[in-house]
Amino acid sequence: MTDTGAEGSNDLELIARWKNGDERAATELVERHSAALARFAVSSGERSEVDELVQDTFVRAFASIDGFRGESSFRTWLFTIQRRLLIDRRRMEKRRRDRTEIQEDDAATEYDALDTVVADETQRRLQRAVQRLSPTQREVFALRVGEGLSYKEIADAVGTTEGAARVHYHNAMRAVKEFLDE
Amino acid sequence: MNDCSNAEIRDLLPDLLHDHLDASSRTMVLAHVAECVDCRDELELLRSLQKTLNARTPRVDIAYVVNALPKPPARRPQTRSIPLSRRRWSDWRIAAGVTVLIAGGSSVALLRRAPESADLRPPVTDSSANRAIAPAGGGGAATQAPANPTTPSPVATVAQNDDADTAEEGQDGRFGGLSDVQMQTLLNELDGLKAVPVTEPEPVTIRVDVKPGGPEGLR
Repeated sequence: MTDTGAEGSNDLELIARWKNGDERAATELVERHSAALARFAVSSGERSEVDELVQDTFVRAFASIDGFRGESSFRTWLFTIQRRLLIDRRRMEKRRRDRTEIQEDDAATEYDALDTVVADETQRRLQRAVQRLSPTQREVFALRVGEGLSYKEIADAVGTTEGAARVHYHNAMRAVKEFLDE
Repeated sequence: MNDCSNAEIRDLLPDLLHDHLDASSRTMVLAHVAECVDCRDELELLRSLQKTLNARTPRVDIAYVVNALPKPPARRPQTRSIPLSRRRWSDWRIAAGVTVLIAGGSSVALLRRAPESADLRPPVTDSSANRAIAPAGGGGAATQAPANPTTPSPVATVAQNDDADTAEEGQDGRFGGLSDVQMQTLLNELDGLKAVPVTEPEPVTIRVDVKPGGPEGLR
């Protein structure tokens, strides 16, 4: 029913070219997927060092490219890697926060400062609606709405089942609607 | 905002948004959306959400990302890999070669030493040359002494002189050039010395007088 095969096969060709020594193939892959990774990073709550996160994702992906068996799309695989990196970062940040005892207010201030960039009131409300979702709901919602991934691909990226991904998406959509109706 | 009762169509709205539907599915969903207000509203909401998600995303510096990527496998310097079976065979050959070298070297060394020792052994009238082959003191240098004592090399001369000094201490019954009288005096002095004190301290006895009835502090 959905059609995402052409892009996937091109990715496989680019990977094969890169393995044969063509470095431009890597540049093409980065150009093709970096924006989606950045969107996913921001949707997942990453506010700073998005470039570094995207870079780390690609570095890790290319370093272990033999581990990519083509069972999912290359982009889904990249999302999986980035999600693990995000989890690692959050753990590290939490430890650092625990050590330095930064108050929650400090994070909120940074959050609000970023919000001012979004001028449009409607967009700000939508943004707040998404921010209120649970982390898993937010990830699933971002991948479904922002990237158009299938439930199967989301399940692979997030490490859950297809059915659970569908439930997360519909719950998230309901929560967003309820927030906007308030 | 209400939810449409057609869950199948609602499921496909994000795919319609991203143009991921095949022709027949696209036609079906579009036909439903044209008649369903709830799905139209939801599709519009999805468009706005997608725009919001994109608006918040910073641009990624492609060059920055690409610069950090590892080199392709084909460009990496190739290390010459030897098949395991061939490597085992090579290991055996190296081990056998080393063994042959050690055995051969030892045999040659023994053969070279044997005639030299035999040449040194014959009785020599010169006492200094005789002492040179004595095992005690300067033995190593003595083995290097030439077989023919009539043509001594500088090395052999030095060896003989060294041995002459050390042999003088024992064979003549003299010690470092001391005369019998001096030696006797030295021995007498040694006899007169007191014994070296022991390193362990002598035990100390502490006497405690206890009155009958025990110490008062314990009462």
